[in-house]
Parts: sequence; C-alpha cells; structure tokens
Amino acid sequence: MPDELTPNPDSPRPVATPPANPAPPSDGTDIEPILTVPPVPGAPKPNPILVVDNLARSFGGLRAVDVDHLEVERGVVTALIGPNGAGKTTLFNLLSGFDRADSGRWSFDGRAVTAPAPDQLARQGMIRTFQLTKSLAKLTVIDNVLLGAPGQAGERLWTAPFRWRWRDQEHENTGRAEELLERFNLAHMRDELAGTLSGGQRKLLEVARALMANPVLIMLDEPMAGVNPALGQSLMRHITLLAHEGMSVVFIEHAMDVVTGISDWVVVLSQGRIIAEGPPWKIIHDDEVIDAYLGRRRAGEAR
Amino acid sequence: MDFDIIFGNAARAAFGPEAVILALAAIGLNVHFGFTGLLNCGQVGFLLLGAYGTSVSVATFGWSLWAGVLIGLFLSLALAAALGIPTLRLNPLLFAIATIAAAEIIRILIGSTDAIGLTGGPLSVSFDAGAFYDLNPYPDGPQDRYGVGTFEFTGQQLWVITVGWALVALISLAIFLLVRSPWGRVLKSIREDEDAARSLGKNVFSYKMQALLIGGGIGGLGGVIDAIKTSGADPNGFRPQVTFFAFAALLLGGAATYLGPVLGAVLFWFLREWIESFLRQLASESWLPAAAADFLDGAEGIISVAMVGLALVLLMLFRPQGLTGNQTELHLDAR
Repeated sequence: MPDELTPNPDSPRPVATPPANPAPPSDGTDIEPILTVPPVPGAPKPNPILVVDNLARSFGGLRAVDVDHLEVERGVVTALIGPNGAGKTTLFNLLSGFDRADSGRWSFDGRAVTAPAPDQLARQGMIRTFQLTKSLAKLTVIDNVLLGAPGQAGERLWTAPFRWRWRDQEHENTGRAEELLERFNLAHMRDELAGTLSGGQRKLLEVARALMANPVLIMLDEPMAGVNPALGQSLMRHITLLAHEGMSVVFIEHAMDVVTGISDWVVVLSQGRIIAEGPPWKIIHDDEVIDAYLGRRRAGEAR
Repeated sequence: MDFDIIFGNAARAAFGPEAVILALAAIGLNVHFGFTGLLNCGQVGFLLLGAYGTSVSVATFGWSLWAGVLIGLFLSLALAAALGIPTLRLNPLLFAIATIAAAEIIRILIGSTDAIGLTGGPLSVSFDAGAFYDLNPYPDGPQDRYGVGTFEFTGQQLWVITVGWALVALISLAIFLLVRSPWGRVLKSIREDEDAARSLGKNVFSYKMQALLIGGGIGGLGGVIDAIKTSGADPNGFRPQVTFFAFAALLLGGAATYLGPVLGAVLFWFLREWIESFLRQLASESWLPAAAADFLDGAEGIISVAMVGLALVLLMLFRPQGLTGNQTELHLDAR
C-alpha cells in the first residue's frame, strides 16, 4: 500500500490505468485541462458539469454542509474524501435531490437546478448510488439492472400490456445488462433474487444498475466498501474507462490507495466545508488535509 | 350429519357471487399491496362507492343501469385520486390510516339518516337490475336449477356468476400482462425500495397513483357486481372487515402472485361456508349435549369466521407465503 501512495509529483497522471488495460488514445488530451486548474478550494474548472454555490444544510445546531463554491469537471474522476461526519453523503443527498438544502443553488450539465427532484435529476443523467446499498431484494439480479435502463417504452401504462411494443427494446437492454453483469462477476447470479447476494455483490449490482442508466454524471457513495480488492479494482478500472469516454464520476472513498490510484481530482471535505482540492498527489501532501483526515503517521508513510 | 349438503353449500359459496366480489376486492388489493407495497386498509371504500354509485344512479336518479355502472366505477376511481393525491407522498403508514378512515367516513355518511333522500341512509337502497338480467341466456323459469344437490344456482344467479368469473378471468389476464412488463418491474421496485426507484429516474408518485387507481377501480367493479347481485346496497355490507376478508383471501392465496387472490377468495368462502354448514348440522345432532347445541345455535357464522381466522394463523405459521407464493422470496426479508 505505501508504494502506491508514493506518486511522483512530476508525473502528470499517477497510476491512472493499470498496464493490463491500455488507456484509449484520447487519454492525456481530455484530462489535460484539469491539470491547469489551481489546487485551491472553489477553483473554477474549464468545463464544469456541476457548479455549486453557497450550499448549506444544518441538522439542529450542526452545520453538515457549508460549501461556498464547488465545480466538478466534466469527464474526469473526482474523489470526495474527508473524515466521518464531514458531510460527504449529505452533500450527495442534497445534490441528487434526496435532501433539501437550507440555502444555496447549483446547476447540473448547464441547467440550474431549481426544484430538485431525485427522479427528475436522474432522468437528466445524474445517477447516484447509496452508501447503504439499495438492492431490490425480491427482484432478480437481471431485473435489478434492467430497471436502470432509461427511456423504456414498456414502463408506460399504455404500452406495458402490449409486449410487441417493448420487446425489442427489452431485448437490447437485456444484452447490455448481461454485459454489465459479466463485467462485475455477477453473470452466474443472473436469475437469482438480489436478496440472496452478499453485501459486496449488492454493492457491485448497484453500480451496474447505475451504469445501466447511461449517466452523464455518476455519483458513487463508497462503491468499494465490502467488495473484494481484485473485483474492486476491475470496477474502478471500468469506471475510469467510462470517464475517458466522457462520463463524469464523483465518488466517496476512504481507501487512499484507491483515491490516488484512479482519481484525477480530489475534493476534501471537513466539517461540511471544502478545505482543499487538487490533484491527488498534491492533496496527500497538503498540511490541512493531513491534519483533518490523513494523519501525520499516514502522510509520513506516504512521503 | 349429511356431508353432501355440507360440501354442496361450501362449493356453492366458493363459486357463487360472493366469491366473485371477494376475488375482485383481493385482486385490487394485490395491485396495491402485493405488487406496489401500498398498505390499503380501506379497500371496502372502493366497493362501497361502486355499489352505491350504481344503486343510487338507478334508484334515486332513475338513470339506466349501464350509466349507473359507469358512475360506480367513476366514483371508485375518484376516491383513489382523492386519497392518493394528498397522502401518497407521505409516510406509508399515514396512507394506511387515511384509507381505513376514508372508507369508514363514507360508509357512515351514506348510512346516516340525513342521507335517506339520496342513498336510503340506514335503510338499504334497492333498484331494478332488469337491464342486466334481460341479457341472461339461461332459461330462468321457477323450476330451472343448475347444478347438483345443494350446489345449484337459479338461472339468474348463474348469469351473475358467469359474467362475474369472466370478468375475474379478464382482469387477472390484464394484470398479468401489465405486471410482467417493465411497468410491473417499476411497481415491484417501489415496493422493495422507493428511493432506489427514484434514484433511477422513476416517478414514484405517478406509479403509485396508477396502481392505486387500477386496484381501486377493480374493487369498485366488485362493488358494482354486488349491487347488481342484490339489486341494491346496504351500508352494513361495507364494514371494515370486508377489507380484512380481502386481505385474508390475498394472504391465503399468496400476495404478489397472479392467481393467488382468486384462489384465496374461493378458498375463503369454501372454508367459511363448510365450517358454518358443518356446525349447523352438528347443532341438530341428537347426541350433542343441550348446552353445546344452545351455544352453537345462531353462532355458527361467527364461529366459522373465527375458524377461518385460525386457519389463516396456521397458514402464516406453516406456509407464510400463501398457497401459491414463492418460499425463497419470503425469506429474503430476514436481512
């Protein structure tokens, strides 16, 4: 683990994709702009997918989220880190419409989010997963994934009874869903009920379901928790590939080797505020981040 | 003790109009509770509006029976909308409370003395359902009987149950076609975890509303058949236990299955009538002590309902998924 935490500060993109998986030719050109961004909290980005202003949410006397300004760059992998209770999940809940902000505004994909409704944001392409996995226990694994497919004709009451109106689309979706299951090592569980999966498998299932929705921005809340390392790596590799194809990724993660391994940009949250942001190899040497989150010993190891 | 009579009576109840009505109520409840997870404790309210909508239209306003049928169905859909719009966004338990309260409020209003002019109030309302029986293809002379032993129907009764079971079959087929589609998948996902459905872009409120309208409309149709069968309606026929009988039938047969509510309704009436007939026969046995016969006399109906309740308890203990349910699905709750 320590050696993975030792990036060369000169390398433009540390430990991006393992050699087994050659990066697409576009790599380097579409990642470049983010490297010109100064690593300061609230830094403006060249091509942001998400712009947040003065977002605040309190629970009683506790200010859970208090973000002055945050921009999330399009087409890159952004990690959101911070100590427990820093407000990471609350920030996810606010942005995805599952919680109401006390104040603040934000825009997603160029559109101001005025009345945040989770389903509406999801249809616009903002798909999130949950820290406590929400697998649909009494649906089969394949049905769980198929549910994610956007724009299904068969989901409308008037077309639903007439199979020929949605059979082709369902067939297409099933093919795509099976590919995702294959990738996440769930193909053998295809027709089992999701409730029979292990915790780690449910986590993978949820990510597969989210990817099925063809997100513009995918927000993953601790996608690796409980997933075995090898599979976790393949999951994250898959997600980096998708980012290269233009999907934006934000993920919450505690394992620093994962964060430095796959993220292009790191945002550090502490007590609801953004205390630092920047490329991973700079963040792990940031004094404030070390004090608030990483700890001296850990950072010493990294050096 | 004549078991021919006991079984004949039980079969008569199991296939008679009461079972049709219960089956429709349970099918509607299955859409709400079984597939969507909506805890509707006031299904009887939909039946009531179906029955009174039909009866009052014909008896009080003098409209045709078919207009009455449409009004009955419309009123039950209107109840679904009126209940759903304010409460479906709230906590599911508030929805449950609202449904049971709404059904009782409507029954009490309709049965109040102030409503005599409109609904007959506490007296029952009755009308001429001749338009329906005019279509009866079965010869219906005073001597015409169909069936064997006590399992027999008059031509009119046979016509009601023919139409009734045909509707049950059609509606079950429609529900099957709907629920096996992606639309049904969304309903089930809402039952399992509505936030997960939301996070994937499904408009949960809209789907719940659709389920509520469909299930309520099916309940309303049960009420319409009740009105035609009795040529009227009586507020006492729509007490809260009707909802719970429908739940009993649904759980007996197996919730979230296609045939469960129908099988459950047939079984419910079979058991109930079998036990009641058995007890009635028992009470007239000469060897029974006088005290026991006195106890049974007139209490057969109550005891038989209690026994059905007992059967339900035993079923929950030994086969909790119902007769047609899936065993593995059930055990997934223990997460």
